[in-house]
Amino acid sequence: MHSIKSLQHNTRRNFYCVAFCVLISLLYVLIMNSAVAADVHDNEQSVQWKNIETHGVKQPVYFHAWGGDAQINAYIQWVAQQVKAKYQINLQHVKLSDTSEAVSRVLAEKSANNHSQGNVDLVWINGANFSTMAQHSLLLKGWADQLPNFKFTDPDNNPAVTLDFGVPTLGMESPWGQASMTFYYDRMATLTPPQNLNELVTWTQQNPGRFSYPKPPDFLGLSFLKYALVVLHQESLIASNGLQSKDQHVHSYQDALYAPATPENITEVLQPLWIFLDELHPNLWRKGKHFMQTGLEMRRLVDDTELSLAFTFSGPEIPAAVKRFDLPQSIRSYAMADGSLSNTHFVGIPYNASHAESAQLVANFLLSPEAQAYKQQAEVWGDKTVLIASRLTAPQKNLFKTQTSHPSALSFNSITRTLSEPHPSWVEDITLGWQQRYGVAP
Amino acid sequence: MQSSLHIKNLQLFRHNELLLSLNEQVNGGEILTLMGPSGSGKSSLLNWLTGSLPSGFHADGEVWLNDSNITFTPAHQRHVGVLYQDALLFSHLSVAGNIAFAMPPGNKKQRLEKIDAALEQVGLKGLADRHPDNLSGGQQARVALLRVLLSEPKAILLDEPFSKLDSQLREDTRQLVFEQIRYHKLPAIMVTHDHSDAEAAVGKIITLSKLA
Amino acid sequence: MTNIQNKNSIDKAVIPKSKGKNNSQSGSQLNHSTDWFTRMVKFSPKFLLLLLIVPVFGGLIGVLLPAFGWAPALSQYDFGFQGFNALWQTSGFGQMIGLSIATGLVSTLLAFVVTLMILAAFFNSVWLDRIQQILSPILVIPHAAAAIAVGFLIAPSGMISRLFSPWLSGWELAPNGIFPHDPYGISIILGLTLKELPFLLLMALGALAQPELGKKLRSQHKVALNLGYCPMTAFFKVILPSLYPLLRLPLLAVLAYASSSVEMPLILGPNTPPTLAVAIMQWFNDVDLNLRIKASAGALLQLALTGGLLALWLLGEKLVKCLFCESLTNGRREYGGAYWQTITGVVTVSVIVFIGLALLGLVFWSIAGFWRFPTALPDSFTLLHWQSAAMQVGEPLFNTLFIGIITTLIAISLTLLCLESEQIKGKLLSRFTSLIIYIPLLVPSIAFLFGLVWIQQLLAVQVSFISYINVIIAHLLFVLPYVFLSLASSYRQLDSRFAIVAASLGTKPCKVFLKVKLPQLFAPILIAAALGLAISFGQYLPTLLAGGGRITTITTEAITLANGASRRTSAVYALMQMLLPLIGFILAWVLPKFIYKTAHR
Repeated sequence: MHSIKSLQHNTRRNFYCVAFCVLISLLYVLIMNSAVAADVHDNEQSVQWKNIETHGVKQPVYFHAWGGDAQINAYIQWVAQQVKAKYQINLQHVKLSDTSEAVSRVLAEKSANNHSQGNVDLVWINGANFSTMAQHSLLLKGWADQLPNFKFTDPDNNPAVTLDFGVPTLGMESPWGQASMTFYYDRMATLTPPQNLNELVTWTQQNPGRFSYPKPPDFLGLSFLKYALVVLHQESLIASNGLQSKDQHVHSYQDALYAPATPENITEVLQPLWIFLDELHPNLWRKGKHFMQTGLEMRRLVDDTELSLAFTFSGPEIPAAVKRFDLPQSIRSYAMADGSLSNTHFVGIPYNASHAESAQLVANFLLSPEAQAYKQQAEVWGDKTVLIASRLTAPQKNLFKTQTSHPSALSFNSITRTLSEPHPSWVEDITLGWQQRYGVAP
Repeated sequence: MQSSLHIKNLQLFRHNELLLSLNEQVNGGEILTLMGPSGSGKSSLLNWLTGSLPSGFHADGEVWLNDSNITFTPAHQRHVGVLYQDALLFSHLSVAGNIAFAMPPGNKKQRLEKIDAALEQVGLKGLADRHPDNLSGGQQARVALLRVLLSEPKAILLDEPFSKLDSQLREDTRQLVFEQIRYHKLPAIMVTHDHSDAEAAVGKIITLSKLA
Repeated sequence: MTNIQNKNSIDKAVIPKSKGKNNSQSGSQLNHSTDWFTRMVKFSPKFLLLLLIVPVFGGLIGVLLPAFGWAPALSQYDFGFQGFNALWQTSGFGQMIGLSIATGLVSTLLAFVVTLMILAAFFNSVWLDRIQQILSPILVIPHAAAAIAVGFLIAPSGMISRLFSPWLSGWELAPNGIFPHDPYGISIILGLTLKELPFLLLMALGALAQPELGKKLRSQHKVALNLGYCPMTAFFKVILPSLYPLLRLPLLAVLAYASSSVEMPLILGPNTPPTLAVAIMQWFNDVDLNLRIKASAGALLQLALTGGLLALWLLGEKLVKCLFCESLTNGRREYGGAYWQTITGVVTVSVIVFIGLALLGLVFWSIAGFWRFPTALPDSFTLLHWQSAAMQVGEPLFNTLFIGIITTLIAISLTLLCLESEQIKGKLLSRFTSLIIYIPLLVPSIAFLFGLVWIQQLLAVQVSFISYINVIIAHLLFVLPYVFLSLASSYRQLDSRFAIVAASLGTKPCKVFLKVKLPQLFAPILIAAALGLAISFGQYLPTLLAGGGRITTITTEAITLANGASRRTSAVYALMQMLLPLIGFILAWVLPKFIYKTAHR
């Protein structure tokens, strides 16, 4: 393991030699050789991190991250300024319209035998994209848990930072933020938004055309389907097993969603979802014959008053959008009573990243209380921190103190019940089944 | 009833500056010749008569054709044919096509026969299907003449019609054109630089001077 | 200073002579000098060919092989039809094809018909110039920006709907509409038609502005009027047959573009299913690399589809010619001219009002505070959206300008050298070369760009600026044809006697080129440069693919944001997309006047 790593260091260094003039590079090699020697002999974490700090500075980092939200883009700009000042790192935000673009890029590089000079240094992922990358060994392993700031997440007692949709992260990705599904509605269009999945059906019957969800495989669209699936799955269990000895049976069935899908159980588990959607679709926006492409388009349609009810995975974006005039002032956020789907999002480093050390410096900075607190501010991004308060010092905690909340924001403690993400393998089956049933307008 | 073209009290201006005044009547078969240096307003007069006076010019007065006032009639409804110094044959049509284009609609066979007869009359027999660009200058001029005549105009304007032809051809063509005008009893106005044209027309000659 | 005097003395020496063109003679006179400049000039057409053929045909091979199953990157070496099989089995495959064909064909036909109607109704009238003045700025609007503007207008909560609500419609909330993204592709057709109409109109007016042809056609039109033809009939029977051959290439380019573009269908089109081109793009970008085989097969199908449409158009041309050949000479002078004149007037006014409203909506959105449906005006105005865009626009703006300027400089230099080689050799470029120049306009870009990217990845040397080079090469493919189209006629009309006089005074060929010819062509060169910049600024797919997503420009940002959360931010980016080329054209228009004046004082 270690030898492979140092081999990679060598090839990378050769590349730099070409780039810089001969004299400087000679000097460089001398210094680095002694550094690697020290690395081999001394296994201590801090020394290793020092090493990363020495190698990582003064380099570009290509951060492939979804770029559809101006506020998030602005936050990444801020991060770029910070790491520039701290490490002279040139952080370049490669704005993706879909994270899968970065995944396919690394895959393509791997198949083209580009094992050390990849274009992607850092990538913002979770869920299906992570499991794909992990499955194809496209991610650098065992670095995330070595980051100095990782300790603030209290990893021993906080599975949310080491499990990504139920898949162990194995140090391949470093947590960045946390999200829960939040619904929001236009108070000038409806005063009684649905409080659970069943009410949603009746609400859409009363307000036809005023709700929809983005077309899978959009992340938010899939999230809605997963929310429905989890709730329906629980209901069907209670209905069919209500009279039987609950405890054991229910548990094993419920586990079906938290284990890889099998050819045997797919049809049975997904059946309630399709029945629900068949009932829901005729009353959706455009009668369920056309779906928006992205979650952001859905938010815009709320501003257009075409929709009266919508949902998001980053609750704080709602008040932020109202402040930027992108949503009307009559918007209110709330959480569904039957549960809110929750997950953590991460940053990963591809196995062939050209600037892996620098990317780790950036990932570590993203985990710093300073960066996390700034990110959580509603007017910046409002993304929930992954740091645990008990691990922070008093001045660090102070950074997270919030101002009075906006009327459109989700009120504190309104999430009463969280639903975990099903195993990522279900995503493919949901997408495929959806595509077959609803992908082509009749 | 004898046909006539009557220009009543015309005053032609360019940018509010008087170019020419004219009050004339031309009867069927007569040719009125206008001479004068360039800039004296000859071409503008013809443009006014055809209803295509360019912007920058304006005119007071009326033009009557066979007792109807056509001063404000759009160009394409005036039935005033024009022969220019260039034949201006349509290169996307054959010789016969050019003539048929000008003729009133009707029975296809009769129209073709009429075209053949007309071509024969002016010595262009058998050239009906030729491309106009392959004809000599004199031949093109004759096709242009046939095109105007077979459109059955009520008056005809000649805008230096022979100036691009060399002298022998010029005389022949001129004779042909004038014969046809007289034969069809059309009132005609000719603008020319050439004194021999004016003499051959045997009509009234007005020499315009540059006023400004 | 000496330079200017030199030029003036040439003017004096030449102008009194009679004017007659003698290109071929001048060619042979300049021929015997073979200095480095002449050699470079003579080689330039070959270089131009290389620059166009290698990427386009290389790119086509780059999709041809994977389409038939040979993709070493995916460890697939078996030739076969699995890609095509996967393609046929795609759900909604037929609808995809139908949508591509219908939107491409209908929008081209519509744009062409409206162009003809406007030309016919306003031929030789001052209105034609006015319409041209109003519509020509539309030409510089990139497709993405136009699509965003159209989307704002026709959406259920768009400007049109707001104007009639709630006083007429009774809508307090935006109604359930089908635009944009309607399954029939009407929104796409509308967007494409509005965008292509000014292009075709200006192409036609450009052809009519050629001194000899224009004069001939105008007099022929006059003859037809004198023969009693109503103006519109005269246009169709006399002008169109001579004008059409000059419009054929622009029309085919429009058709090829319309049937294979991604910007408009992405922003205005349906997604259940999308057009073939959009689907291909999505497959290429999918995580599942095996979809690339299907995407390659799709790219080939797109090629066949566009080729088929072009063939169909040419066939239709023949058919129309056959059908209407007779009626040209049937002597009918009037086909409800007044009626059609009115219709054309209404259509023209609607088009202008439509575009005006769309632009107005765009401007409003970019400075709107809260603006709830159905009010027709924003509740408040703010510069917030411009300010936040300004903070993030630095890099995309730099990339846009950098790539645009470099690409245009290369395109202009190469075009000028090729045109100079025509004069030195004394003959026009070969038919083959002229055809190749326009190939990037006729081959759907989606069909060869992916192959091109694949080849670029194979060859890629890991240099940090390689993606810039890739993007510049990809942009050149689309900039070169337009720059060439725009410069060729002015260059060929240049009076060759200037060069002869200069040469007879002992001036070297390169000096003749730089100091005699280029100054005379200053204005057309600037126009071509502005056009080149505008084309480069508007490129989406080439930037995205050749840059590997690393290079963001104003256009890629605008499209990423187009279906995003904020109409306001999209509006800002769309307006920026429009302003950039507009500034270029204003400079091209103002600079010659300024520099011309100083030169003569």
